Amino acid sequence: MAEVIQKKLQSELEKYQQLQKDVSKSMSARQKLEAQLTENNIVKEELALLDCQNTVYKLIGPVLVKQDLDEAKATVGKRLEYINGEIQRYETLLKEMEKKSDQHREVLSSLQQEYQRAQGQAVGKA
Amino acid sequence: MAATGKVKRSNVNDLPQGVERLKEEHRKVVKDCRSQIEHWEKVEKDYESLQDRLRTLPDKLSYDVMVPFGPLAFMPGKLVHTNELTVLLGDNWFAKCSAKQADTLVEHRKKHVKNALDDLQKVMKNFQNRADFTNDLEKLTGGTGDFVDIREEVMNEDEITKGKHRLAHKPNSKPKQEYLLDLKEDKEKEEVDEERKTGVLSEGELWARLDDLERQEELQDARYRLDSTDTNGEDTTSSSEEEKEADGGSGVQVNGHQKENGWLPSSLTSQMNGTNGLHPEDEEEEDCEEETDNGLPTIYFSHTVEFKKVRINTGKNTTLKFSERKEQKEQAKRKKKNGKSNGHSPLESYKITSPADIYKVFVDLVNGEPIPRKSILKSRSRENSVCSDTSESSTADFEERRAAFGRSWSHDDAMQSDTSDGITEEESPTGTSPRTNGRFEAFTGTVIEKDPLPCSIPHLTIAPPALPTIPERKLEEVGQEAPQEPAKRMSKFKATRLHQK
Repeated sequence: MAEVIQKKLQSELEKYQQLQKDVSKSMSARQKLEAQLTENNIVKEELALLDCQNTVYKLIGPVLVKQDLDEAKATVGKRLEYINGEIQRYETLLKEMEKKSDQHREVLSSLQQEYQRAQGQAVGKA
Repeated sequence: MAATGKVKRSNVNDLPQGVERLKEEHRKVVKDCRSQIEHWEKVEKDYESLQDRLRTLPDKLSYDVMVPFGPLAFMPGKLVHTNELTVLLGDNWFAKCSAKQADTLVEHRKKHVKNALDDLQKVMKNFQNRADFTNDLEKLTGGTGDFVDIREEVMNEDEITKGKHRLAHKPNSKPKQEYLLDLKEDKEKEEVDEERKTGVLSEGELWARLDDLERQEELQDARYRLDSTDTNGEDTTSSSEEEKEADGGSGVQVNGHQKENGWLPSSLTSQMNGTNGLHPEDEEEEDCEEETDNGLPTIYFSHTVEFKKVRINTGKNTTLKFSERKEQKEQAKRKKKNGKSNGHSPLESYKITSPADIYKVFVDLVNGEPIPRKSILKSRSRENSVCSDTSESSTADFEERRAAFGRSWSHDDAMQSDTSDGITEEESPTGTSPRTNGRFEAFTGTVIEKDPLPCSIPHLTIAPPALPTIPERKLEEVGQEAPQEPAKRMSKFKATRLHQK
């Protein structure tokens, strides 16, 4: 009886750990996105400080490609929106994962209790 | 007793561990913050040296330099086009600009760095405070240090509270959430509508509301005095936050109308939701005992008699509801219990043994009754004073005055009203004072009725805070022409001023 519970406990624990890893991965991805967000914001502001006379280049691979200032501004704006959208997506994902991990935690704790009871019984018997 | 002793000891042993852990965490955070601050400061310094370089770079057309050639060699070379810079804007974007433009960009980036630094400093300070607090807490619970626990036993909870018992007073009632929301909505509405509301609320209701608020303020003051030695600063603030909300809710309930002021929420914090025990105006003897409990010196304290419903006295219209019977009862009880003489009569006020005695020093004897003096800031009747706050009554008064003013002006010269229209309030009294003087004389009989200010106030585009200046001058011009009728609504400052004159 105790072994059965133990096995169950193990499997639940593994699932829970997997979930935790996923959560941390999403968290780090989200943090990266946030860094990109701030960076793009700074780029946007600095582009605003320039005037049309300055040429703007974009680094694509090993090449600096000339860009139009207005085009650059538009591109950066679009990128910002994209990043925001991604952050939202990750947020919802994180919330779901949190909920799931909470459920798993509860299951784990109940299993643990059962296991301890079974242990106690076994000890009592023996 | 032995059991509790044992329990205590185990608790005491647990405490250090928990506290140690807490302190560790605090220290970690503070250390992290420090390292981050160092990093950002380095960045800032780099930017500053970059700026210096940018400023000196265009000085020469070309520089002779040793150019690094791979990792191991240098080559003599020239640095040309010294004003043309390609700046990395971030995220693989580059821009060609002059040295000065680059300078501007660097300034902009330094701003960001400064923001980050400020935030980090704040966080660090915060956590430093927390760490200190846990230290204090440890000392407190350990019974060392200078902290003393002061407790007050509350006998009867149903002591006299003035009149309407708000729901929040009842120990098990929850503040109603809907009223909270209502209050917030109304808050916004109020601020918009404040100027425009005229006579929507009856004056009676307003006065009742003011009374309630004053009472709460007094309760709050008394409570504040008692809580001054409370070392659980955070807890009280959090509980006072809850109380504030509860008060907001319950306060709204009382009068049904939700006239709201800027200071209203703060005055409502005095509402006792969680502090039913502290009825500052009610309790009796002054007992001070020292007991050591839990290794911590404890003083058991109970309230001294205070005069009920202390109202502020402007010298006129002192309406003090003083319950004599209660006072006598309490005095008798006091005599029975203590045999100490604390503040038996207000006249022996020079022996100050308790906070309540201080009150008794400032007491007037009216008709043989001790009536405490009220501060001029709180008055039951605002008829004789000029209010400069944004309270409902004053705005209502203001509105009335304006209305009256409008009326009074209506049969004036169109010219005068026109000229006064455009003038700001500061100018108006001076500008129109000679005119108003003459006009005023004509007015005397009719105006005083409702509107003590025959007004040089042109328009009420004026914000209420500006109010006092004008009425003040008007008063002087008026020469105190019977603004003393109780039927009139004058603010108390005006009254005091009149009184003083």
